[in-house]
Amino acid sequence: MNAWSRRGVLLGVACSLGAVAVVTGVIFLVKPYVPVLSLGVLYVFAVLPIAVVWGLWLALPVSVASMLAFNWFFLPPVHTFTLANSENWFALAVYLATAVVVSELAARARRRAAAAEQRERESALLAELATELLRGRELGDELGEIGSRTAGVLGVPEASIELGPAHRPPPDASPHLLEAADRTVGTIYTPAGSDPNVAALHRFLPALSALLAVAVERDRLEREALEAEALRRSDLVKTALLRAVSHDLRSPLTGIRTAVGALRNPTLHLSDDDRTELLETIDLDSDRLSRLVGDLLDLSRLEAGSAAPEPELWSLDDLVREAVDTLGARGRVEIAGEAPLVNVDGTQVQRVLANLIENALKFSPSDATVHVRITATRKEAIVRVVDQGPGLEETELERVFEPFYRRGSDMRSGAGLGLAIARGFAAANGGRVWAESRPGQGATFALALPVVEVPAELRA
Amino acid sequence: MSGQRVLVVDDEPQILRALRATLRGAGYTVESAATAEEALIAAAARPPEAVILDLVLPDGNGTDVTRELRSWSDAPVIVLSAVGEEKAKIAALDAGADDYVTKPFSVDELLARLRAVLRRRGQAADPVIEVGDLRIDVTERVVTVGGERVKLSPHEFDLLRVLAQNRGKLLTHRALLRDVWGPAYEVEAHYLHVYVSHLRRKIEPDPSSPRYLLTEPGAGYRLVDPGDDV
Repeated sequence: MNAWSRRGVLLGVACSLGAVAVVTGVIFLVKPYVPVLSLGVLYVFAVLPIAVVWGLWLALPVSVASMLAFNWFFLPPVHTFTLANSENWFALAVYLATAVVVSELAARARRRAAAAEQRERESALLAELATELLRGRELGDELGEIGSRTAGVLGVPEASIELGPAHRPPPDASPHLLEAADRTVGTIYTPAGSDPNVAALHRFLPALSALLAVAVERDRLEREALEAEALRRSDLVKTALLRAVSHDLRSPLTGIRTAVGALRNPTLHLSDDDRTELLETIDLDSDRLSRLVGDLLDLSRLEAGSAAPEPELWSLDDLVREAVDTLGARGRVEIAGEAPLVNVDGTQVQRVLANLIENALKFSPSDATVHVRITATRKEAIVRVVDQGPGLEETELERVFEPFYRRGSDMRSGAGLGLAIARGFAAANGGRVWAESRPGQGATFALALPVVEVPAELRA
Repeated sequence: MSGQRVLVVDDEPQILRALRATLRGAGYTVESAATAEEALIAAAARPPEAVILDLVLPDGNGTDVTRELRSWSDAPVIVLSAVGEEKAKIAALDAGADDYVTKPFSVDELLARLRAVLRRRGQAADPVIEVGDLRIDVTERVVTVGGERVKLSPHEFDLLRVLAQNRGKLLTHRALLRDVWGPAYEVEAHYLHVYVSHLRRKIEPDPSSPRYLLTEPGAGYRLVDPGDDV
């Protein structure tokens, strides 16, 4: 209850009058049995509750009113404010003094109790906030809650907190800066015209500011740690890429250099067969180098987004057949299914298919057939390349598409770029590539592309 | 040098093929293997006189193969290492490999190293070792350069003795520290550099451009005869 509100004052005055009236009534009832002069002290029971609830400002008038009522009703001559006996003057003075002293004591006790309660509320709130903030909750999520609970402590209906340097306050709010260690942590806004407890503002806000400053700092450190972790990871990736590239570039170079060195060395006695072998090594390793450089270029073009497709209408089964032909693998690949129409860059999609099929051939036993099946719905055409290899672990299904990823301990299978490039070109053409597998049952790599309706002029 | 058996181990088929033809052309009998397991089986079936070993193999690494090989064979091992594999290279040398070449290597360099390790193999443990103008009497602990006696501290003498007894062979920092100062000093490489510098001032004609005691950057030291081809 706010003792200073208009209603509070009216209620206080009414209660005071009532209390004086009640005590007066009681004295009337008891008067026949007790010397009346000793009953004046009963008015303390009227003054005391008023002092406790409303304080000294109301208790003093009540004391005076009690004294006047006692004089009027009970001290001879009754119904006058004059006194017959000078002893009675003394008694009244003692009553008045007693009432004033008791009122003051009661009011003081009341103020202390109220202050203690307020501080208890403040420290309980601080302790709770500290626990929650330090437990690692995201500060931003908690601000609303902290604001409304701070409002309770400050004795205002609501309060909101903004972190960071002070902005222009909303027109209907008064700002209070939250400062800790010489810098502004944020601002707390209370409704304009509300009357926050000034002592609580001075006491509570610095503690709240310090707490928020710690939480803000913690949030910042957490973010920085996350960023550092991300950087470290990308560094690891770069190192892995560099190592893979340097290995894949160096191996063919070593083969070529060794073969050339042997052919040019006059002290060696090379047989014709050895000479042929050395030339073949140079041939194969040069091919491998040039393929690798091509793959790296494709990959960097894809990553830079500069692999712009030039779409044309194709029958998907034709692209599959051409891809098989570029691999020279007609004998080992069986193609079945439909012939949906797609609007794609023929070279790029052929590349996707060739990489998927080449991968399937690589992981199949050398006498096994790779099956390619084409299916189509109204929206999508799907090419599935099914091999009879060892299959993929669940954890590998996505990783196989990472550049430089090699399956198992396989070291001979090129640079691990084929599937990454396939996925990149598929995406550039509005499609997607994914893997399906259960270990021991072979792997399936699928390419999905949007189908187009057969244009009217092509319909027979 | 005809018909000495060399085992070549590399998982890259083209490198293996080029090395086979090259070594055959140089008069060696060549065995080849593509994995660590194949290498050990081949070495056990027909013990080679020397092994050329890639550091990275599909089923293991060259260091493990070297260690395994060393437990029952003293055939010298030349490691094929690559930039970025320095640590693995040192580990292989510590495990008992004799030398290394870095990919891509020149054929001449590889053949010279191979000749050097094969030549060392025949050397007996002589009480007197001669390297160029250097003469080291191991039993009397006397060293002369061009006939003139040189005064060495005990550690300097031991360092020179270990290097001379492994003449031509690359000795890692760790191996030298272990043999000269004892196992407790294996990681205190700065002792070594200081003693090498002292030793050079006493035995080299021009200590600032050494001809006997050569530094292999990041790996170790070797003592060579300036007249040899390595």
